[in-house]
Amino acid sequence: MEIFFIVTLLVCISLITILLKKRIVIEVISLLGSLVVLFLSFAIALKVSDVGTNYVLFNFFSINSLSAIIIMIISLIGLGANMYSIPFFRKETEKNIIGFSRVKQYFIFLNLFLASMFLAVSSSNPVLSWIFIEATTLSTAFLISFYNKSSSIEAAWKYLIINSIGLLLGFFGMLLYFTSISSLPGNGLISWDLLLNNVSHLDPIIAKIAFVFILIGFGTKVGFVPMHTWKPDAYSKAPPPLGALLSGALLPIAFFIILKFKIITDMVTGPLFTRNLLIFFGLISIAVASLIMLNSKNYKRLLAYSSIENAGIMALGFGFGGIGIFAAILHMIYHSFVKSVMFFSAGNLLLKYNSDKIDTIKGALKVLPITSISFIIGFLIVTGVPPFGIFLTKVSILSAGIKIYPIITFVALFFMSIVFIAFLKHISSMFFSENDEDMVHDENNIWLIIPLIIFIVLLIVLSFYIPPFLSNLINNSVLIY
Amino acid sequence: MSISFLQFLLEIMFLTIIFLHLFKKNSDIVLAYIIQSILVSLILSNSFIETGNILILWVILCVLVVKVILGPMFFNRLIKKNTLAFSVSTYLSSPLTFVFISFVTFMAFSKKLLPITNIIPSHHILLSLSISMIFLSLFLVVNRKGALSQIIGVLSLENSIIMFIVFAGLEQSPGLQIGIIFDIFVWIIISTVFASMIYNKFGSLNVTEMNRLKD
Repeated sequence: MEIFFIVTLLVCISLITILLKKRIVIEVISLLGSLVVLFLSFAIALKVSDVGTNYVLFNFFSINSLSAIIIMIISLIGLGANMYSIPFFRKETEKNIIGFSRVKQYFIFLNLFLASMFLAVSSSNPVLSWIFIEATTLSTAFLISFYNKSSSIEAAWKYLIINSIGLLLGFFGMLLYFTSISSLPGNGLISWDLLLNNVSHLDPIIAKIAFVFILIGFGTKVGFVPMHTWKPDAYSKAPPPLGALLSGALLPIAFFIILKFKIITDMVTGPLFTRNLLIFFGLISIAVASLIMLNSKNYKRLLAYSSIENAGIMALGFGFGGIGIFAAILHMIYHSFVKSVMFFSAGNLLLKYNSDKIDTIKGALKVLPITSISFIIGFLIVTGVPPFGIFLTKVSILSAGIKIYPIITFVALFFMSIVFIAFLKHISSMFFSENDEDMVHDENNIWLIIPLIIFIVLLIVLSFYIPPFLSNLINNSVLIY
Repeated sequence: MSISFLQFLLEIMFLTIIFLHLFKKNSDIVLAYIIQSILVSLILSNSFIETGNILILWVILCVLVVKVILGPMFFNRLIKKNTLAFSVSTYLSSPLTFVFISFVTFMAFSKKLLPITNIIPSHHILLSLSISMIFLSLFLVVNRKGALSQIIGVLSLENSIIMFIVFAGLEQSPGLQIGIIFDIFVWIIISTVFASMIYNKFGSLNVTEMNRLKD
């Protein structure tokens, strides 16, 4: 019942927010709601970890180990985004950037977005998952154009059109899988399980064509190159908490759908076909993102390209197989949390400097010490510096690939090194250069720091200790995918 | 309905997409989309005739309300409000557009795509036509510089996929179909609002004007 309560609660919060006229009430309700959602998500994860199989409810919801992990990720980043949004938008209101109606609109769409993500990842039916992923596009389009500037409308338009086309192609691919089913079941819903049970009736060539469409369609949402073009624009123009949600929560959901279809395709065509495609998209995503990052001029766009690179690393992990799958799932978790740290830090920089250009940020380490250290820690984690968890996941993914695909592994390692160099170049320019003397040396607000510290602590703890229930969930996911 | 009649309806639909590529006036583009959506409703009514499922009538009603009445109403309001008589140009010239249309149509009927156009062998031509409509709608979004043309292109792509679903025997339950139409309805509202915002900010619906975001 927990997932039902989560979705109902979030939709109710959205609806109640429409009627509310006091900002503090909107903020408190949204924050409390996200706390309740977090507890319920952990209850689901513990249940799935104990049972070890799918957790099914009303024939509409079906949660397996990986979806339980993603549900926890969404709820944690959802809570972080709520915690961060309140002081962030209060600061922006003080600066006359936004007014009450914008803030109200933000919390309405934010909770709808969260509800859509929970539904997309827990639906037992692929078409319902598709409908809810499309709903995430619709609920976030207005959030990307939040500041109503020419550039943010441009970003939102690209996001809307590119993602809609991608999802329609994904829908087409999804329907090709339904050719294995001769007639609709009694409730009229073709579930993931039914697709798996009828896999023997699926034509291998159709399965291959369908998977290509799935990878292009949902890969657009993940942000694989060359379907990534919306991502830097949307991430750079969206409010920073939304950037954290797009990168940390929405990316794993789209990946999850691709993996669901990967299992079906593998059963028909053998695993080589899907693995090669994932390796191909993974490698070009890492390569293109790393080269663009070298000359990035905007730190929010830098984070967007870093997300593209990390999506590529996850694709390589699932493509290489073996220990690579375990590492890719763990990488997904670390990446989601580290991106929250980095987007929230980017938000603090934006508030202080009123600019997202790398060139305008000088000597930030002295001006915003805690924010700067957080951003630098985020950089060390995301680029895979030891002893943080991503170091282990990157090494595991590369070691999984080195035996079968040595050249690809070395090329990937080369471009990962470029990402480190690119980040280091921008980090030294932003944080270690001489600062502007006129800048007031203090953090914006303690409440803008707390979410950063929570996620950093979480990342450090998870780098050295994985709780047994999470370990169970990851191991069970590896067996499935 | 006989296959030849369904093929006739689908051929008219195919022609509407060709006209979408050719029309210069925005009102003509909306009219072509209305005709296309009416044809979708007619073809869907064949499923009702064959199965007698009353719920399919609801689906048809939703298609008519959303795609024939409400959607075009929003588009026409956008055109009138912003006096957008003419659509902006295409990236490829008309002769090149025709060459590409011919090539794409040829590809859709080629042996390469036989695995998906032969899902139901008796519907081979219908499925090939649907595939060519999918490709041409995609090309419409890519080739047109106008925001409204891009919106109609995405909606035409959705109509084309529906036609493929119908003729490949992959229709979903009416409940799910209504869910999808609801999604499309919300999409139409949001995209129209954005088109209006683009006009207000850029003074035109030409998407090439939007070039502020670069690396």
